[in-house]
Amino acid sequence: MPFQLTDEQLLTRDAVRQFAEAEIAPIAAEIDRDHRPPLESIPKLAELGLLGLVIPEEYGGTGADSVSFAIAIEELSRVCGTHGVLVEAHSSLCTWPIVHHGNAEQKQKYLPALASGEAIGAFGLTEPGAGSDAAHTATTAQRDGDDFVLNGQKIFITNGGFAKTFVVIARSLLDVPGVKGLSAFIVERDTPGFQVLEPERKMGIRGSSTTPLAFSDCRVPAANLLGREGEGFKIAMQTLDGGRTGIAAQAVGIAQGAFEAACAYAKERVQFGQPIAALQAIQWMIADMAVDLEAGRALVYQAADLESRQEPHSQASAMAKLFCGEMATRVTGKAIQIHGGVGYTEAYPVERMYRDAKITEIYEGTSEIQRLVIARQYLR
Amino acid sequence: MNIVNIVVAYKYAPDPQEATVSSDGTVDFSRAKAVVSDYDAVAIGYGRRLATACGATLVGVCVGGPQSAKPVATKAALSRGLDRVVVVADDELETAGSTRTAQAIAAVVSQLGDVALVLAGDSSMDVAARMTPSVLAGLLGWPMLSDVETVALADGSAALERLTPQGVQSITVALPAVVSLTSEAWPVKPPGMKDLLAAGKKPVEIKSVADLGLTLADEGTVVSRAKLGGSARLGVVIDTSDPAAAAATLVEALRAAGALSEGGLA
Ligand SMILES: Cc1cc2nc3c(=O)[nH]c(=O)nc-3n(C[C@H](O)[C@H](O)[C@H](O)COP(=O)(O)OP(=O)(O)OC[C@H]3O[C@@H](n4cnc5c(N)ncnc54)[C@H](O)[C@@H]3O)c2cc1C
Repeated sequence: MPFQLTDEQLLTRDAVRQFAEAEIAPIAAEIDRDHRPPLESIPKLAELGLLGLVIPEEYGGTGADSVSFAIAIEELSRVCGTHGVLVEAHSSLCTWPIVHHGNAEQKQKYLPALASGEAIGAFGLTEPGAGSDAAHTATTAQRDGDDFVLNGQKIFITNGGFAKTFVVIARSLLDVPGVKGLSAFIVERDTPGFQVLEPERKMGIRGSSTTPLAFSDCRVPAANLLGREGEGFKIAMQTLDGGRTGIAAQAVGIAQGAFEAACAYAKERVQFGQPIAALQAIQWMIADMAVDLEAGRALVYQAADLESRQEPHSQASAMAKLFCGEMATRVTGKAIQIHGGVGYTEAYPVERMYRDAKITEIYEGTSEIQRLVIARQYLR
Repeated sequence: MNIVNIVVAYKYAPDPQEATVSSDGTVDFSRAKAVVSDYDAVAIGYGRRLATACGATLVGVCVGGPQSAKPVATKAALSRGLDRVVVVADDELETAGSTRTAQAIAAVVSQLGDVALVLAGDSSMDVAARMTPSVLAGLLGWPMLSDVETVALADGSAALERLTPQGVQSITVALPAVVSLTSEAWPVKPPGMKDLLAAGKKPVEIKSVADLGLTLADEGTVVSRAKLGGSARLGVVIDTSDPAAAAATLVEALRAAGALSEGGLA
């Protein structure tokens, strides 16, 4: 089934590409080198409407479809993986569950600020003892009058350093073990007892702020319970279904950036009296990279389109995430190979892209977890 | 201020950044994607500001082959801030030059009525002849000012600043008028996501040459093309306030440089 993009989706690509090349490409290498979150980009992303893509118009967002969202993430990531995940985590992991599981008051209170960039969003699921195995979440949320009192720790939270709005998964039904005891909460950054700790120093997406969160008798009003008590795991899994497509789009974008850099270099670099692009060894790598990219992109748009049409898409998004994460590592690796020695240096962007690509095999569910999800569907 | 319509003439043309230049110097546009040119985006952005300030409707007018009328083309233009567009799309206009393009724009402007100002970009991105606004003004019988940096509208007139090699010229001109803007007149930004989604809901009119009852002028036929030889600036400045003397000195200088033969241009 050939996938045909709509006019709006095509124009979204043009607009975001133009923006990314003008505003983001110039700082991509520097924020990576300095492990610096690109806070100056936030108002610019908001002005273009990229922070409200998944938010309905009535709350100040764009109400774009999921394919347009994927294209936007892809185009940001094509020049900078950090910007891709900043918008992805903000939109898919924090904003999306509020749009889909929040009540009218919660939406009114949080969505306009998330759309305008006044607040950036983050999502806290992972803990020191609960990574792939989210059912073992140990952070507790004990009911006390009109509040829930949160205690525990989260780790590896994207946008942690500057986010204002956090969706946090914690165990509120203390006597219910496993996934059924988990609930989702909206936690504001300045809540007493809530602390954002020092960011990690990472291999890639170094401009992205990845921090631990600590909760110590942190009182969150019961009005901030997202969905019903006990629905936390379901909300987290639905959130990750969409998030995985977003990460797959990030992977495609990073790979695309590396692919273009490799093509350009192959045409320029002369060895043995000819551009290396004339060598069959290089051409075969270019061909394999192109096929990999197209296959990955097709999986992303397929999953995003299913989501837009509100069809089941867990399987499709797991497939897109699995394939694209591994594809991006392959393609960026080949891009370095085509560059030879300079590809291994900071003088060219492909080494950064290779480091950025690797994370797409890990976060929002490792490749192994995606395989588990996919196989389960066939072996039920 | 009572201004009803401001028109922006724009072209949907292949993006030169996607054109390829072969080793013999020929430019191949065949694989270049069509876009609303950046120069025309300047005019649309500037026009949006003027129209909003005076409550006018900003109408885009585009002339070209059938692809100019595709929804993706009109949405691309509308997303930049136009209120509506009129596209004259016709096979006959696929390769239209300045004269035919201006004929079609003039016909639309006349049909619209109540047009105070026609804005154009500095030049088209693909051909860059910079002639269409002048021919248009000639057909409409309106004044034409090129290289304009700023426009301030008032009742029945506009105050303009033109960028000339000698400096900035301030001009007041009676409306209606045709104005082409410099490429620096407005900082072009990509359209926002909301503008993109709203574009599809704005009105689009598509007309053919026949709908406008136009008889297209003969624009001549290109018989052959030759590459220009190397050019060099002679740096001759003709400094006189007497136009007749200036013309005579210019002819003299061109002859001396071998650029004019007895019959006319060499
Ligand atoms: C940069 C970065 C940003 C992140 N952002 C966020 C965020 O915003 N919010 C958030 O909540 N989390 C975030 N995470 C956490 C991320 O989602 C987890 O790291 C990931 O889910 C893996 O969990 P883990 O690190 O505990 O690895 P583990 O679960 O310990 O896995 C270790 C290895 O064992 C494998 N494994 C585990 N279980 C199985 C199984 N059942 N079958 C087969 N193999 C298995 C894994 O695939 C992996 O190879 C982020 C992580 C990083 C590094």
